[in-house]
Amino acid sequence: MNMLTIAWIALPFFIGFVIYLIPQLDRLLALSVALASVGYALLVFRQGQPIELELLDNFGVTLLVDPLTAYFILTNALVTAAVICACWQSPKTPFFYAQTIILHGSVNAAFACIDFISLYVALEVLSIAAFLLIAYPRSDRSIWVGLRYLFVSNVAMLFYLVGAVLVYQASHTFGFIGLREAPPEAYALIFLGLLVKGGIFISGLWLPLTHSESEAPVSAMMSGFVVKAGVLPLVRGALVIGEIDPIIRAFGVGTALLGVGYAVFEKDAKRMLAFHTVSQLGFILAAPEVGGFYALSHGLVKAALFLSVGQLPTRNLKELQQIAIATPLWIALVVASFSISGFPMLAGFGAKVLTMANLVPWQVIGMNIAAFGTAISFAKLIFIPHQSAATAASKPLNRGFWVAIAMLIGGLLVTNLFYIEAYTWANVIKPLATIALGWLAYFLIFKRLTVKIPRMFERLDHLMGMMSLMLVFLFWAVFAT
Amino acid sequence: MLEACVFATVLLGFFGIVLKRSLLMKIVSMDVMSTGVIAYYVVIAARSGLVTPIQVEGQTRYADPVPQAVILTAIVIGFSIQALMLVGSMKLSRDYPTLETDVIEKGNTP
Repeated sequence: MNMLTIAWIALPFFIGFVIYLIPQLDRLLALSVALASVGYALLVFRQGQPIELELLDNFGVTLLVDPLTAYFILTNALVTAAVICACWQSPKTPFFYAQTIILHGSVNAAFACIDFISLYVALEVLSIAAFLLIAYPRSDRSIWVGLRYLFVSNVAMLFYLVGAVLVYQASHTFGFIGLREAPPEAYALIFLGLLVKGGIFISGLWLPLTHSESEAPVSAMMSGFVVKAGVLPLVRGALVIGEIDPIIRAFGVGTALLGVGYAVFEKDAKRMLAFHTVSQLGFILAAPEVGGFYALSHGLVKAALFLSVGQLPTRNLKELQQIAIATPLWIALVVASFSISGFPMLAGFGAKVLTMANLVPWQVIGMNIAAFGTAISFAKLIFIPHQSAATAASKPLNRGFWVAIAMLIGGLLVTNLFYIEAYTWANVIKPLATIALGWLAYFLIFKRLTVKIPRMFERLDHLMGMMSLMLVFLFWAVFAT
Repeated sequence: MLEACVFATVLLGFFGIVLKRSLLMKIVSMDVMSTGVIAYYVVIAARSGLVTPIQVEGQTRYADPVPQAVILTAIVIGFSIQALMLVGSMKLSRDYPTLETDVIEKGNTP
């Protein structure tokens, strides 16, 4: 199993370069890497105990793959495979597939490593690959959005590096475990880096523009697994070091409410999904013990939603009320929306029940409001008119797209069985009531409401300035606990 | 004293990123900031001594090799990101010759 782990980490990078050498096989090679990762994740699940590796003696790279990691790896692998299928018939060049696979590999590496420097390297490689994918159309806008992303994440990672060396100074190790003896400023700096990379709370406001202005497959990957590379270390931190657990949980609630607050008022479909990603990351952090399952269900749903919304004739939700879309596409949208609102029979239900069961008392009200907001915002996607495919206004859909959607929705149905104990009457009635109330609120209030939330905080200068404020806040938060 | 200078470099770089209007100057400021971070690693490595960590007779005050080795990776990554960003801004400068971020932002936010 140890050899297999190393081979699995190295494979995507190797294949990524092989794609350049044999461009004819690009899609096939990329897809096989993603499927290999699926296989690896299932093996880890079956084995059950964590695999710990320390390469090259002391100060070397340390890896840890446990079932929590396996959830994240599975998310990564399934979304990558779905995106490759969705792009199968598109005129994308081998460059795109090579970058996709390198992105996949770097996210895998970020999930598996448990020392600050390997994590740093993985996160930076991930930023570069993500930048190249965002800027793939090479229009001015895509380049600007990519540059903005790279800029924000690189500055955050510089703060992170300072934090990492402070940890080393205190405990003479770069491992996550060294954080225990580190001073509060080290916590603050490292958390800042991870919060920005993971798109959490105010530091995550770079995310909506990036995710909404990228092409649909890239948005699917960004929302599906890229941001989770910053979230998993935070979850690990909360599990390993008990003192910071309340801080992480508080960030979870804050993020869930912030994201959903924006999403409820948003009139642009892709931006709504992006804000909703912010809120779902909050759900993952709100109950770190069970974050893995939530991450999996969210990754699958969000990828399916981004891919389907990319096929709609317009992104404006107001205009969508007037145009009828093809019924098959509508069904895909509805199933995904149901899962994310927590409707029984889909993975989102089990994930929500599990998260809600693991909250501490002060979180409950906040998270229920967030769940209610989710139901309101997805009512916007569910209640759009539809008609048979032949007469609808949407573009004709190719087979690759349907394979991708089938893979993601099938994944939702199968992973639903992971937590079958969730099906009790009380558990089933609660989300149904939340959804019903959400729809009611949508029809009575939010459908008529036109509130435009200013985008001031999404400007580059403000994002940077906010980082310094966040740093001060984090320092005092850690200092106080 | 040395540590104060290093932190001043980091802070000056960060202020440059926030306050400068041109994208190019922001990228250069980011480089200043990363120079500060790299210098901090070197300062920490030199806490235990200044001699290169190769065993020499009668010498005990060696510099710590670990932070130095680690920061080498960060330097390489930092400079490749720098290069990538400069290429991106080169592309943008065709339509936005002054490279002022607020102008680019206005043109590219829907």
